[in-house]
Amino acid sequence: MDSGYAAYAARRVLQAVVVILLAYVFTFLVISVLPGDPVTNTLRNPQNGFTEEQISRIVSYYGLDRPVGVQLWESLSRFVTGDLGVSLRSNLPVSRMIGEVLGSTLVLAASALAVALVLALAIGFGTRFLPKRAARLLRSFPSLFLSLPNFVIGLVLIQVFAFQLGLFRVIDAEGGLATFFAAVALGIPVSARIAEVLITNLDHEAGQEYAAVARSRGPGRARLFARHLLKPSSLPVVTVIAVVVGELLSGAVITEQIFGRTGIGSLVQRSVTTQDLPVLQAIVSLAAVVFVAVNLLADLVYPLLDPRVRLGGKRQKAAVPA
Amino acid sequence: MSVATTAVSRAAVRIPPTVVLSFLVVAIVLLWSLVPGLFTSQDPAVGVPADKFAAPGAAHWFGTDQLGRDLYSRVVHGTASSVSSALVAIGIGVVAGGLIGLIAGFAGRWADTVLGRLVDVLLAIPEFLLAVIIVSSLGFRTINAAVATGISAVGVFARVMRAEVIKTRRAVFVEASYLQGGSRWHILLRHVLPNASRSLLALAVLQFGLSILLIASLAFLGYGDPPPASDWGLLISVGKDYPLAPWLIYAPALVMIATVLSVNRISRWLRKTD
Amino acid sequence: MPVNTSRAARRLLRTIAGLVTVVALAACAPGGTNTAGGSATPKPGGDITFLIDSLGDTWIPNNSSISSFQGHIWGQVTDKLVYVDENGAVSPWIAQSWEQNADATQFTLHLKQGVTFSDGTPLDAAAVVANLDIWARGDASRGINPIGLFPKTYDHAEAVDASTVKVSFTAPTLGFIPTLGYHGSILISPKTLALPAGEQADLSNDIGSGPYVVASWKEGDSVVLKKRADYNWGPPALNHQGPAYLDSITYKIVAEPSVRTAAVQSHQADVAYNPSPQELSSFKEQGYTTATPRYLGFVNGFAVNTKAAPFDDVRVRQALQHGINRDEIISTVYTPDWLPAKSFIQSNVPGATDHSTDFAYDAAEANRLLDEAGWVKGPDGTRAKNGKPLELTLYPNPYLATSKSVDELIAQQLGKIGFKVTIQAFDVVTYSSRIKVGGVPAYEVTRSFIDAGTVAGVLTDANNGENWFGLGQSDPKLTQLGAAVAGASTVGERDKVLDQLQGYVLQQGYFVPITQIVQRIYLQSPDLHGVSYNGLAYANYYTAWLG
Repeated sequence: MDSGYAAYAARRVLQAVVVILLAYVFTFLVISVLPGDPVTNTLRNPQNGFTEEQISRIVSYYGLDRPVGVQLWESLSRFVTGDLGVSLRSNLPVSRMIGEVLGSTLVLAASALAVALVLALAIGFGTRFLPKRAARLLRSFPSLFLSLPNFVIGLVLIQVFAFQLGLFRVIDAEGGLATFFAAVALGIPVSARIAEVLITNLDHEAGQEYAAVARSRGPGRARLFARHLLKPSSLPVVTVIAVVVGELLSGAVITEQIFGRTGIGSLVQRSVTTQDLPVLQAIVSLAAVVFVAVNLLADLVYPLLDPRVRLGGKRQKAAVPA
Repeated sequence: MSVATTAVSRAAVRIPPTVVLSFLVVAIVLLWSLVPGLFTSQDPAVGVPADKFAAPGAAHWFGTDQLGRDLYSRVVHGTASSVSSALVAIGIGVVAGGLIGLIAGFAGRWADTVLGRLVDVLLAIPEFLLAVIIVSSLGFRTINAAVATGISAVGVFARVMRAEVIKTRRAVFVEASYLQGGSRWHILLRHVLPNASRSLLALAVLQFGLSILLIASLAFLGYGDPPPASDWGLLISVGKDYPLAPWLIYAPALVMIATVLSVNRISRWLRKTD
Repeated sequence: MPVNTSRAARRLLRTIAGLVTVVALAACAPGGTNTAGGSATPKPGGDITFLIDSLGDTWIPNNSSISSFQGHIWGQVTDKLVYVDENGAVSPWIAQSWEQNADATQFTLHLKQGVTFSDGTPLDAAAVVANLDIWARGDASRGINPIGLFPKTYDHAEAVDASTVKVSFTAPTLGFIPTLGYHGSILISPKTLALPAGEQADLSNDIGSGPYVVASWKEGDSVVLKKRADYNWGPPALNHQGPAYLDSITYKIVAEPSVRTAAVQSHQADVAYNPSPQELSSFKEQGYTTATPRYLGFVNGFAVNTKAAPFDDVRVRQALQHGINRDEIISTVYTPDWLPAKSFIQSNVPGATDHSTDFAYDAAEANRLLDEAGWVKGPDGTRAKNGKPLELTLYPNPYLATSKSVDELIAQQLGKIGFKVTIQAFDVVTYSSRIKVGGVPAYEVTRSFIDAGTVAGVLTDANNGENWFGLGQSDPKLTQLGAAVAGASTVGERDKVLDQLQGYVLQQGYFVPITQIVQRIYLQSPDLHGVSYNGLAYANYYTAWLG
C-alpha cells in the first residue's frame, strides 16, 4: 500500500509541475502573437515625438528586440528559480505588484466561498425539509443562480445597498460590508455549482436504506441532515470545491472591477490592456498553481479517506451534472 | 420493444410546461438573431438625439439610450452577435474538444498523456482569465471573444469525450464487435460517436448558456465589439455609466438572464430524459 | 412538525417578496442631495479625496510626466521653471527671469534662491542642468525615456553660477520658455535622477520641490500626499505665499464614472475626475462646482490624409467640414460648457484667431460641393462615383472618453449628406499600434501643446515633421508658412504668420475641426474653494482650502 501510494503521489506531483510550466509557456505564446509591449507602445505614442534612434536604444535596453525564442528561454529559466521578473509597464518587480494585491483577492475569494457554502447548505437543507412546493421551488434555485451573470448581480447590489440604502461606501471598497456584498455577488453562481452536487448526492444518500432506518429512529431534522446525509455527501462536495476554485478566481476578475477593489482582477485588467507580459505570465502561473495544488491535495487525500477508491484510477468524479 | 417505445414516446409527450416556455424563449431569441428586422422597424444604430434617455413606454418599449436610440431595437439586433458568437464558441469547443478527447481515448498512451497535459493546462487556467488573454492577443472584437470562449471550453468537452470513448471501448459488446472483426473506424462510427453524442449534446446546451454569459462578461469589460454594436454585455456596460436611466441596464440584463435560464432548463430536461 | 416547516417557508417567501419590492422601488428612485454653505476666508487644514480613473503605468518621472493622469500628482509634488496659466500667459516661477539672444538660440535663466527639494538638496543651477539634460536626452542605458515634445534642437546647458543657467540650441527655438511650463518639465532632485529605473519607479523615491510630498502609495490603487511645511516658493501668479492650506490630498482610483460622481454627491469624496458630460447640468443644479478647463493645444478634430482618395479632392474635404453640425454635437454629447471650434487650435492659445466661417455647418453647401465633385446620390442616400461609394471609416480616439459618442453622431450627420461612415474603435494599445496619423483617411486629434510653435512640426515632413496631411512638401505655401512659424524669433512676427497659417489650413480642408476639447472635467464639492487650473487644465491645490 505504501509504495503504491508513494508512486501515485510522485506521479501526480510531477504532472502538476508540468502543467504549471506549460501554463507559463502557453501565456507567453498567446500574448506574443500580438506585436507590442508597454515599453514600445509608450515610445511610439505620437504625442511623445521620439526619434527612431531613441526608440531603438531603449527597446534594446529592455531586451525586447531579441528573438522570441530567446526571450522565452530566459524568462522561463528565471521563473524556474522563482524570479518572476520586472513589470514592463510599471518597472516594479512583479512579485511586489502581485504581493500588494493578493491579500484583497484572497479575502474576497474566501468570503465568497463561505457565502457559497452557506447558501448551498441552506438550499440543500431546504430541499429536504421544506414542504413540497417550497422544496421544488428551491430546487430550481441553482439553475437560476447559474443564469445570473455576476456582473449584473454586482451592479444591482451596488445600486440598491450602496446608492439607495447607503449601507456601504463603494469607495471604501476593502471595508467589511463592501467585501460582504462583493462576496455575495461572486458567491451566488458558485453556490449554484455546489448546491447542484449537494442536492444530487443528498437525494442519493436519502434513498439509501440506512437513511430510512435513521429517520425511523426519529432524531431532529438538523441532526439527521448533518450526521446521516451531509457526511457521506461531503467527499464529492470537496471535489467540487477544488473545481470551483478556478471559478472563484475567474469571477473575482469581474467582481473586483465592479466593486472597485484593488486585487488580482484589477491587476489583470491593467496588464492585459497594456500587454504587460511578465505580470500576466506570473498571474496565470499563480492561478494554475492554486488550481493544481488544490486538486493535487484532493487527489492525495481522497484515497486516504475513502478506502473504496482504488489507487490506479481517479477519484470518484462526484455526480457533477456534466 | 414496442412497450419501450410507447413508454418513451409517452414520456416525450409529457414535456413540463417550464420546458415548453424555455423552448419558446429560445425560439424567439434565435429568431431575433436571424431576422431582427421582423421584430422591430427602428434603427439600432441611429437615433434622434433629442429623445435621449426616454423611459420605457409605448413609443420605445425599452426606452432610449444616451443618443436617443431605441433600446428594444438595440437589444434585438444585438442578439445576433450575442447568440451567434456563443454558437461559434460551442462549435469550437465541440469540434476541437471532441477531436482531442477522441484521439486521447483511441490512440496510444503517449498521445493520451500529451493531450492530457494540454487539457490540464486549459482547465487549470481559470476560464475568464484564459479568455481575456486570448482575446487580448487576437484583438478586441466579439468574434475573437467567441473564439476565446470556445478555447476555454475545449478542456471540458475533451474530458467528457475521452471518458465516453474509454467507457464505450471497455463495454462488452464492443469487445465482441472487435472479435467479430470490426475495425477501429467501425467501432468509432457505430458505437462510440452515437453513445458520446448524447452526453455531449447535454453538455453543449449547458455550455451554450455559459458561453453567452462569458461573452457578455468579456463585452462588459470592453473585450468585444465597440459601439454602435449592441452586444448585451456591451449595452449593460454602457448603461451603467448612466445611473439616471436604469432601464439601460435592466432591459438587456433581463433578456440575457431569461435566455440563459431557458437554455439551462432545456439542458436539465435533456439530462433527465437521458 | 408540518406546522413549523410551513411557517418557515412562509417567512422565507415573505423575505423574498420584501427584497423584490425593495429592488423594484430602488430601480425607480433617483439619489443624491447636498447642502450648501461655507465661509469666505482661506483657512489651513483639511484633507481632500480626489477620485480618478487611472494612475498611469510607471512612476519613473521622465516616462510618466506627460501622462494625463499622473500629471495631477506631479503638479502637486514638483515645481516647474515657469508657470503657464489657462490663457497661455507665461510667468516666473523657479526661474525668476530670463533673457534670450536675438535669434532665440541661447537663453539665460535666473533662478530663485533658497529653493530646496524635500530631501534637502538645493534646487540650484546644477540641479536645473541635470534636469534639462535628462529631459532632452533621457538615459537609454537605464531604460529612461527622454520627455515627450522637448525641443529637439537642444544642445546643452551650463551652470554659470549657483543661480544662473545658460541653455544653448542648434536652431531658433522660440518655444523653449513655454515648454518649461509643460507637463514633462518637472524638476526632480538630482539624487533621484541618478537612481536606476527600478528605483525611480517607486514613487516614494521621486523627490520634488513642490508644496506636497508623497506620504504613501499603492500601485493601481491610491497616492496619499501630505503638505510640506517649509514650502515657500509658489508661482507669484497664484498670489499665495508659504505652504499650502490643505493638509493632505488622497488620489484614489475608482474606475466607474458614475461611482466617482455618486461618491462626491454623498460626501464621501471631494473631487470626481471625468464625470460623464451628460450629467454636469444636473450637478450644477444641485449646487456642485463643475470645471471644464480647456488645455492649450489642438482642438478636437480630424487631420485629413490628402493621399487617401476621395480626400485628395479639396471639395470633398470641404464638404466634410461643412457637413458636421457642431452645435448638435455640443447639445447631445456635451453641455453648453463646451465651445465650438473656431480654428484648429484652441481659442485660449496665444496666437489663435477666429476662422469659424471657413468651416461652418452648411449642409446645402456640403451637398453642392459633393455634387460638383461628381458624387451622385444613390437610391439609399449614399453617394457614388464611377461605381465606388463615398466611404469613410472613423476611429474613435481612446484618449477621449466621449470620442465614440461624438463619432456616432458625426456618422449620422455625414450620412445625411451622402457619406457611408463606419466606426472602428480600438482599445488604447491596439489603437496606438495600428492607427497612425497619415495611415487612415481621418485621424482624430487630441493633442495638447504649450507653445503654438509646435504646430509647425506637424504640417509637413520637413525636419522630421509628422506630416499630418500626407502632403510631404508638395504644398509650397504650407511648407513656407510652416517654416516661417518655426523660424520666427519674436512672438509678434509669429502671430501674423500663425493667423495666415490657420486660415490656409482650414480653407484647404486639411483639418476638420469638431469642438474645442475639454479633456479634463472635474466635479467638485462646494466646500472646496480656491482651486485654479493651469494651461494644461490640471487642478492646482496649492491655493485650495476647505470651508
